Amino acid sequence: MKDSGNTESFVRQLTENQPRLYGYVYSLIGDHNKASDVLLETNLTLWRKLDQFEHDKPFLPWAFSIARFQVMASIRDQGRDRMLLDPELVDLLSGEVERGAERLENVRLSLRECLQSLAPKNRQLIEHRYFRGLPIGKIAETAERSVSAIKTSIMRIRRELAKCVERKLEGPSIS
Amino acid sequence: MEEFESLFFDWESGSLDEDGLARLRQLLRSNEEARSYFVQQQMIGAALRLDFDAGLESLTPEASSGETLTTRTDSKDERTTVSATQQPSGPSIVRLWAVAAGMLICGLTARMVYLENSNARVVTESTVSQPETETPREATSDGIALLTRTVDIRWADGTRTPQTGDALTPGKLAIDEGYAQIEFFCGATVVVEGPAELDLKSSTLARVHRGKFRAQVPPAARGFSLEVDDMTVVDLGTEFGLDVSPGATNVQVFDGEVELRSNLHSKQLLTAGDAIERTNAGAIKTTSTTPDDFVDIAGLETRVGGERQARLLRWQTWSKRLRRDPRLIAYYSFDQSGVWQRKLLSSVEPADRELDGAIVGAARVDGRWQEKSALEFKRPGDRVRVNVPGEYGSLTFACWVKIDSLDRWYNSLFLTDAYNQGEPHWQILDTGQLFFSVRHKADSDKKNPTPTHQPVLSPVFWKPSMSGRWMHLATTYDAGSGLIRHYLDGEQLHEESIDPALVVNTTRIGAASIGNWSIPTRPDERFAIRNLNGSFDEFAIFSAALTADEIQEMYANGKP
Repeated sequence: MKDSGNTESFVRQLTENQPRLYGYVYSLIGDHNKASDVLLETNLTLWRKLDQFEHDKPFLPWAFSIARFQVMASIRDQGRDRMLLDPELVDLLSGEVERGAERLENVRLSLRECLQSLAPKNRQLIEHRYFRGLPIGKIAETAERSVSAIKTSIMRIRRELAKCVERKLEGPSIS
Repeated sequence: MEEFESLFFDWESGSLDEDGLARLRQLLRSNEEARSYFVQQQMIGAALRLDFDAGLESLTPEASSGETLTTRTDSKDERTTVSATQQPSGPSIVRLWAVAAGMLICGLTARMVYLENSNARVVTESTVSQPETETPREATSDGIALLTRTVDIRWADGTRTPQTGDALTPGKLAIDEGYAQIEFFCGATVVVEGPAELDLKSSTLARVHRGKFRAQVPPAARGFSLEVDDMTVVDLGTEFGLDVSPGATNVQVFDGEVELRSNLHSKQLLTAGDAIERTNAGAIKTTSTTPDDFVDIAGLETRVGGERQARLLRWQTWSKRLRRDPRLIAYYSFDQSGVWQRKLLSSVEPADRELDGAIVGAARVDGRWQEKSALEFKRPGDRVRVNVPGEYGSLTFACWVKIDSLDRWYNSLFLTDAYNQGEPHWQILDTGQLFFSVRHKADSDKKNPTPTHQPVLSPVFWKPSMSGRWMHLATTYDAGSGLIRHYLDGEQLHEESIDPALVVNTTRIGAASIGNWSIPTRPDERFAIRNLNGSFDEFAIFSAALTADEIQEMYANGKP
């Protein structure tokens, strides 16, 4: 039976954990469009399996396991040649991705600070590439730099951001 | 690793060929470092995307200069239009929230309201089918009127229940009993007496189904209209009454002129002293005005005054009892009379003058009731300094606060100086989320870093339409289990247990500030400046995690 207390608890957890589930699915799928689709499927599956949900048990591990199943199904459908990760790699990475996704909210907070600490020029590169989704070629063209120079810059900035986020998450961090 | 990074970059940009893909897989399989890098970068990719969807990219102000790039691209190639330049690959995650919203429609309740707020974009069914037509996510209030006063109000079951001070959006309002004063943005003020039912249409128009209304329309708001069935009452700068009952509609003009428009009787002008009654059949007869039957603004003020006195008295009685609660660590009722002398007196009994706070900058203003004061914090320096000695375990923070806007990245409710071991920080993020954390340990070992504390965030509870409204906020921290609960107006917003490894058993406060941060741990402006833009009227800290019932009681007894 879907008793209302359990249902409410389920919906709350599902809602609150959307970003974490998105982080999990996106990490394994690597494409925002497909990841959105897979998360939709995951939400629907979780909803259909509401009967199996016990509100005093941790929600995330259960949700991750169902998300992983959906990721696998998506990889099967797409065909291995189109996706980076194959089922074997998903299994290999899944644990680490779960741990990463669990702390995604903190990553977001830290990242906001880290973006601030970038030089404006670098921040703009990240904006163009990841917020606006401009192709590398376009960015290079506008900046009047070569594609490989842009690539080197973005790779360096992403390394910098990753380090900064790690430092904030683990060092004397945000308060 | 360099090879991996380069391949990863190409893969992400969609330019990696078959051989590259195979090589990337091989590296992922064989190299642990590569896997860590991969997961880390993918999380950052997800985080960027989520923030983009939440409309948070504006956090990087200079980024708007990106528009120059968009423009230049456009001028070079007309075909490079909006879809290519503005939206990153694909539909937004709004669709995901929409699914959960669908579940809401399946008949779920209450808490889901926060879903709507948890993302800056509004979730509607239409977003499922048209994710691409999402409109911009400015935090504008789409209100058309303000609810400025209520007396003994009881909203009809199953309809919206706005609070005094709320902006009202178009839609139905249904009152079972009591009075409401609605100020339309055009300048017209309407006093509604229940039972009443109306549809707010725009800042100049409402449709009335039943109830008694008295409208005061200053010249600037001329043209304000109320619709009843096929009849429209257009105000030409005046004061009029409208009584809509199942049998008949009564229009009375107390001052100035009103124009009646309807299909049957094209136009009719009523002037001061005129009154008509229209039956459902459409017959119109002249009657006389009875202005005393319609409560006007002044009359409502008298009633409001009576109700306000009663509420103030209830709060004062409750507050007097609270002062002796042995669990109180600090309590400021903001109820001192006479000259304040820049001191915020501690209300804990027996009195301890060491707990008095020092007011810096903040100005004294009217509180929840005009008979009592509050402190308004506006400028970056405004604060109340307190010093709370001792060591504690569990904690509860509670306050009545009015937020004008969330200007800072972190907006302080209560922050200890710096952020040392065992110290709590209670604040609101610019996203409108309540934030609580206790520092678990001092800076971690640089070689083997581990987290120093775990922040617990509520869903988004504040939005600009709540600006200027008094609300009750509370957060409880159980030092045994690490369970943290956030409350708004007596209702739980969120609960979360922090990682057992980060639970703090011994808490302490010491020197601290209400509404600001006195000793930031880092100099950069965005991080360090945390003054609240708003007012406080009552602030309490307890050495225990209060129960949900106790928080509810605090709200019920202090509600203005």
